Amino acid sequence: MRKLVLAFMLLTSPALAQVTAHSTNPLEGKADAIEAGRALFGKMNCAGCHAYDLTGGMGPDLTDGSWQYGAKPGEVYHTIAEGTPRGMPAWKDKMTVDEIWQVVAYIQSKKQ
Amino acid sequence: MRKILLVATLFCGAAIPANSQGDGKPNAAPSGGSFTGATANFAPNAPAGQWTQQARDYANTRYSPLTQINKQNVGRLRMAWSFSDGQMYGHEGAPLVVGDTMYLVTPFPNIAYALDLSKPGAPIKWVFQPNPDPRAIGKACCDKVLRGWSYADGKLIYNLLDNNTVAVDAKTGKEVWRVKLDDVTKGPTMTMSAFVVGERVYVANSGGEMGINGWFQALDVKDGHTVWKAFNNGPDQGMLIGSDFKPHYPWMVGKDLGVTTWPGEMWKQGASAAWGWVSYDPDLNAIYYGTSNPGPRTPSQRPGLNLWSAAVFARDATTGAAKWAYQFTPHDEWDYDGVNENVLIEIPWKGARRKVLVHFNRNGFAYTIDRTNGEVLVAKAFGHQNWAKEIDLKTGMPIVNEAAHPYVGKKVENICPPDIGVKNWNPSAFSPRTGLLYAGVFNSCMDLTNHIVQYIPSSPYDGMEMQRHAGPGGHWGEFIAWDPVQGKRMWSIKENLYVWSGAVVTGSDLVFYGTMDGWFRAVDARSGKVLWSQKLGSGITAAPMTFVGPDKRQYVAVYAGIGGGAGVLRREKGFMPGGNTLYVFSVDGMGIGNGTTQLISQAGAAAPVSVPPAAHN
Ligand code: HEC
Repeated sequence: MRKLVLAFMLLTSPALAQVTAHSTNPLEGKADAIEAGRALFGKMNCAGCHAYDLTGGMGPDLTDGSWQYGAKPGEVYHTIAEGTPRGMPAWKDKMTVDEIWQVVAYIQSKKQ
Repeated sequence: MRKILLVATLFCGAAIPANSQGDGKPNAAPSGGSFTGATANFAPNAPAGQWTQQARDYANTRYSPLTQINKQNVGRLRMAWSFSDGQMYGHEGAPLVVGDTMYLVTPFPNIAYALDLSKPGAPIKWVFQPNPDPRAIGKACCDKVLRGWSYADGKLIYNLLDNNTVAVDAKTGKEVWRVKLDDVTKGPTMTMSAFVVGERVYVANSGGEMGINGWFQALDVKDGHTVWKAFNNGPDQGMLIGSDFKPHYPWMVGKDLGVTTWPGEMWKQGASAAWGWVSYDPDLNAIYYGTSNPGPRTPSQRPGLNLWSAAVFARDATTGAAKWAYQFTPHDEWDYDGVNENVLIEIPWKGARRKVLVHFNRNGFAYTIDRTNGEVLVAKAFGHQNWAKEIDLKTGMPIVNEAAHPYVGKKVENICPPDIGVKNWNPSAFSPRTGLLYAGVFNSCMDLTNHIVQYIPSSPYDGMEMQRHAGPGGHWGEFIAWDPVQGKRMWSIKENLYVWSGAVVTGSDLVFYGTMDGWFRAVDARSGKVLWSQKLGSGITAAPMTFVGPDKRQYVAVYAGIGGGAGVLRREKGFMPGGNTLYVFSVDGMGIGNGTTQLISQAGAAAPVSVPPAAHN
């Protein structure tokens, strides 16, 4: 029964549907998700490379509207999950789907 | 009579420097004499017109005995030729000149060029493309730089960002050997200049912000194999600390301090990377280098002294055995790395002569240290700082100001200097004629909020959130002359932004340096009077050098390609676009590379097409 409930929850969780470049962020604009994303941005050391204000350092500025790997929420999700050839680490093994969407929501909230 | 008058006027000119800050006593030396009596050993005594190592000599003086360009004609310096290498990351190294060839290496992807100085236009002789692993791009903290390269044994030897050291045949441009020294996927990179003495190449890794465990090693010039390797943290054995190790201060004496001054096993991510300069004393057969900040940067997570971070090491050059060490900033709380250059000179001291090293630390104090035993003789502030009251010479310990301690989750305002220091890796120069050192310095402070961080391999182990602002006076930078015996400034020139270029000083008492807003300057080494300025196409964060061409003419060369740590000021007025051009100057711009007729280059190779790297700093 527990298992069933869990499976049901997973199935209905919007986050679990296959993420594609065109996926919208199910958590976009949600205050608690943005706050969770902010915390994760520090906890997972994103801030060490992109700065606590997201304006860049070792990694690029995430607030300037210029995206090498795509601006759409699904594309940003993909960059974070898979990493990039030039040293952005992959996070899919360290963060859940929901957590990555939370971080994307936080980045989206910071767009200038 | 006229002559005497002229001398008198010159002397007065020297005594009242046009740009003096007024914080140093007017010059007391007779014109033409030394202000301090300091001298240096210029081994390996390369021919005057050549430049075969980054600092020219083992002592790291960056002194050139050349005098063709002098105070009378320096105002006529014009560009003789230039060379753009196509790569957009920050340019930090100085070109080398050996015989009729100039050697350049770009920042990532670390392409090497040999240019033929004997032909019009200094055409390309050969190009070497090592193709380093691009994953290194995301691991290098402070841009994808290379601080220099070395020439030795008919080879050009340098580090690749992806932790390989490579040796290239200087005649053919073909790879002779390449050795992999670390794993880029775990966070380390290599950005320092390989340093060669005789049969040995000394190299170290970078990654003070990545929770790495710093090491330093000696490779064999012939095939690159590791002769010895010393870690900068951890048990004595791995650090090559044995019975020869005799630190001057008792708090640095004890067993396995590289373990016991850390909580648990935190030394394993304790950084202490030796990403700066190496110097060598042939009489003592000793090498000197410094270590970076400890990891993580948040100090409350690592109570203890955190040895051997933020320290200088003296080691036997042949065996690597540690002779002594001195920790500049015990339990560093502000990211004050100890990697800046150690300039080896001799000074008069209480009636005797002492072999010392002079070190401008990030923490704002310039140390004059007896390099035979690690005793600090002088430690005086060379710029604006407020984290420490002073360095207690009895204990060798700083006396820290309470107001400078950072806290987790709480902003502490106006700590000076910020992480970047009062000076960074940008190397100073020493003149035996004036007995002074010349250095680009920073005037700034930070508001600091710390965060608790967890160690996640290949991501920053950092935790410092800061806002940097200019220090008193509102200007970010200065260029200063320093008396290493008295520990005081002789003169200073204010600049809008950090002065993050290296310096070179010549036998005609000219000092050259560049600014982040693109000015390349020549200054009177005695008075600090600016004698020549030329605006270049990008900001200057590289070290200048000077050489004599096959035409027997003296040239001065510098890269304009702003980047590296200087990127922290990228939002300030005057910060310039990136660049990659080497500018070469001569009196009236004369040289083999120009004239009034159609000159034709006869190149030996074509440059690779440069692909602009991603637009991150
Ligand atoms: C070790 C440093 C590092 C860490 C840690 C890091 N990044 Fe990155 N990031 C980079 C680099 C470098 C790039 C650019 C990569 C490239 O050009 O291929 C990048 C790129 C990105 C991009 C794509 C930007 C664009 O222009 O398309 C996003 C989004 C991003 N990072 C988010 C994050 C998030 C969220 C985290 C934490 C979960 C994180 N990064 C952690 C270094 C890092």
